[in-house]
Amino acid sequence: MTGDEGSGMREEFLAEAQEIVEALSRDLLIVDQAQKEGRVDPQQVNEIFRSVHTLKGIAGMFGHSAIGALAHGLEDLLDDLRLERIALTPEVLDVLFEGVEHFQRLLQVDDGAEAGIDFDAFAKRIGQVLGAQGGGRSGDPLAMLDLDDSVLSVLTEYEEHRLRSNVESGVGIYRVRLRLPLLSIDSSLEDLKARVKPVGEIITYLPSMEGGDAEHIELVVLVASTESLRALGEAIAFEDASIEPVARRGATPVPPRAPTMTHPENLAAPPRVPVETRHEMATPVPPAGQNVSFDQLSVRSVAKTVRVDIEKLDHLMNVVGELAIIRSAVVRLSEGLRNTAGLRELAIDLHRINRGFERNLLELQNGILDVRMVPLGQIFEKLARIVRQVAREHGKEVRLVVAGKETEVDKLIVEELSDPLMHIIRNAIDHGIESPKVRELAEKPPVGTLALNAYQKGKHVVIEVEDDGAGMNPQTLRETAVRRGLLTPEAAAELTREEAYNLIFAPGFSTKSSITEISGRGVGMDVVKTNIARLGGVIDVQSEVGTGTKFTITLPVTLAMINALLVRVADREFAVPITAVQEAIVFEKRAIRRVEGREVLTLRGATLPICRLDELFGLGRPQEPDRQFIVVSEVGARRMGFVVDELHGQQDIVIKSLGPSLQKVRGFAGATDLGDQRVALVIDVPALVEELASGNELGRITAGGYS
Amino acid sequence: MSDELVSKTLMPGSSSPVVAGRSELAKSTEVTREFLAFELGSENYALPLASVREILKPPPVTGVPRAPRDVLGIISVRGRITTVIDLRRRLNLEERPLSKASRILLVDREDEIIGVLVDRVHQVYRLEPEEVEYSNVMGSDASDHFMGIGRPRSASRSARGAHALDDHSILILLDPIPLLRR
Repeated sequence: MTGDEGSGMREEFLAEAQEIVEALSRDLLIVDQAQKEGRVDPQQVNEIFRSVHTLKGIAGMFGHSAIGALAHGLEDLLDDLRLERIALTPEVLDVLFEGVEHFQRLLQVDDGAEAGIDFDAFAKRIGQVLGAQGGGRSGDPLAMLDLDDSVLSVLTEYEEHRLRSNVESGVGIYRVRLRLPLLSIDSSLEDLKARVKPVGEIITYLPSMEGGDAEHIELVVLVASTESLRALGEAIAFEDASIEPVARRGATPVPPRAPTMTHPENLAAPPRVPVETRHEMATPVPPAGQNVSFDQLSVRSVAKTVRVDIEKLDHLMNVVGELAIIRSAVVRLSEGLRNTAGLRELAIDLHRINRGFERNLLELQNGILDVRMVPLGQIFEKLARIVRQVAREHGKEVRLVVAGKETEVDKLIVEELSDPLMHIIRNAIDHGIESPKVRELAEKPPVGTLALNAYQKGKHVVIEVEDDGAGMNPQTLRETAVRRGLLTPEAAAELTREEAYNLIFAPGFSTKSSITEISGRGVGMDVVKTNIARLGGVIDVQSEVGTGTKFTITLPVTLAMINALLVRVADREFAVPITAVQEAIVFEKRAIRRVEGREVLTLRGATLPICRLDELFGLGRPQEPDRQFIVVSEVGARRMGFVVDELHGQQDIVIKSLGPSLQKVRGFAGATDLGDQRVALVIDVPALVEELASGNELGRITAGGYS
Repeated sequence: MSDELVSKTLMPGSSSPVVAGRSELAKSTEVTREFLAFELGSENYALPLASVREILKPPPVTGVPRAPRDVLGIISVRGRITTVIDLRRRLNLEERPLSKASRILLVDREDEIIGVLVDRVHQVYRLEPEEVEYSNVMGSDASDHFMGIGRPRSASRSARGAHALDDHSILILLDPIPLLRR
């Protein structure tokens, strides 16, 4: 094996292991939450066991002994846990969370010694929680169940345990038969799980020999539920599904006989609920070997997804951009031909072909954009872990409420969003949410709530982080700004409430004088704001003393290709992302009024501040054109009108970043190649609106000055 | 010279010994022997050949408002947005409009390829150690981008191009890293 292959495999392993550890962490949080509410979710515990088991497997395959050993140790603990030999206590959870942390550290440094993990100590901790609890098992109620031995013999130890404990606690056992298309088996099973979950628990799925064909497979699913047969039937409501209860026999086991499910009428049980009448067919429970083919099914569906380096997608997007440029060249050519005598027909043909090309190009573009989209849930899970950790470190009780995790955003945005969000959340727990004692004094519930809410709004995604903590006092903020030398006392006194809140985004501002380990890591809210602005987004803060604080982040859905309005100012071309454009109107110079030294217009009854781009950018020209336009932009709650000389229509553009040497230049999101060697700067509307809207003392602090 | 060189990639790809042109550039006499000479006003300058990726005829340059004064603007080099600096401005020389002979050198500066506008490109010189005086000739006050003075002894010998140096000419050798530092 060459070194290259080795590192490729290693990357593959790391990527896969990372995914498993993330899933593990997600499941652990769910279990943790359930445990706090006094429930134990056995399915979730089993998922965790399986994740660790898989991790152990692939670690062995790729020779990562440190991860393998760690997984092995945890596997034992989890095995006892899922078989309920030990109880799920906070101590056990702590060990499991610690395990996840270790996994993550190992994945980062790839070597146990470098990670600085004391495996012996950790193994001892596992031993302690295991030793602290002893478990015992009692008699076998399974014999009471009218289930064929061949079914029982293929159940795994865990499934058998779940079946037993459900029977013991008197929960009804049902047999559900389904016919599922092979192609979508994974999603169908997920669907089934989701439907069963509120009403019961799935013990096992067994593929059946019957009822399947080349495209379908028939499954027998054992479900434990306290619901009635009818309620269960309504909850599952799968096409082609049939449900029947598994009867309980007398205490004496009857001899094994032909599969019972074909003779429901023999049992003192209600008839099957025919979700749809279907053939009554003997369904011999398959031998254990049948499980293999079922595994193959899932292997096959796993192979349908591929991991793609985001750079490859960027490259494809660049190619699409180039194609779009070629397309416009062809359009120009065909327009030229149309005016040439004798070539008119050719021009029309060319035009028609080009339209087809355009359509397909658009589809290609949308396809690539779609591949880049990932649900925000990915980072929300990471954040949930942070919340737990930070809350514990600070002795605070925090409940995280998440909504909209399915909201999709460009992968790059998601990556870049994780740090700013993490920082906001740390701040919210550290500075916002009070300790349980303080909260009780304030007559608030001792457990603080942190809400993470995401939703799509047009071509933007909005993420809100809201806490029900102490809130911020504008007066305290003003005083701090003066103390830090950011503002004069006079300037501070003039700030509106909203402006005072925005002080937290100023560099060098921090309200808490003690530097805690978490919030005081050298990055402030100014960095958060800059990072979000870099993604083409804005952040706003609202607060109420005693009630809480809410951060609202508004982001574009994608960064790769955007539709832009091309404008001309003083003979230079600029692109304005269409997401930031509300409308374009003719500039009525007579309608201008000056308020507080700023030019404003009245547009449909509301005041619109005006910004002359030529002045803002210092672009000289012999004389102002007679006719000009205003591009009306709205970012968050702020509107701004940008004066431009000409409107050149819309175009899809690929935004390319300016080089490191122009990184400090504010007001541009990048540049785009328009073809014909023409390059246009892309105006960063949120940054400009921000800069202009806070055109007072505060603005000069937060905008960071021009370079 | 000039036209054969224009738009021809001098140092294609990353296989060029650019690494040698980095931090050790000013000290290493072994590697830095080849220089690309160009004209700026009345003086001749030269950059280590290893640091020059390409020579372009200037395409239309898009000015960047609010950029530092010596930034001429940006161009697209095969889809990559590239910052172009006006070397006259950076070296505080008198400004002059573009001429037919003006060229943009794409120079590798550690983290970024920067376009450098010069008046005219001459040729490549291979300098022997005894043909180079290192920066201490100018005393300790010299800027850190000033690498030394090159004195090609028989300048005309290697020059088949039109703009060869005469025997009295000197080359002001520049170190690209400090020269193009932000």
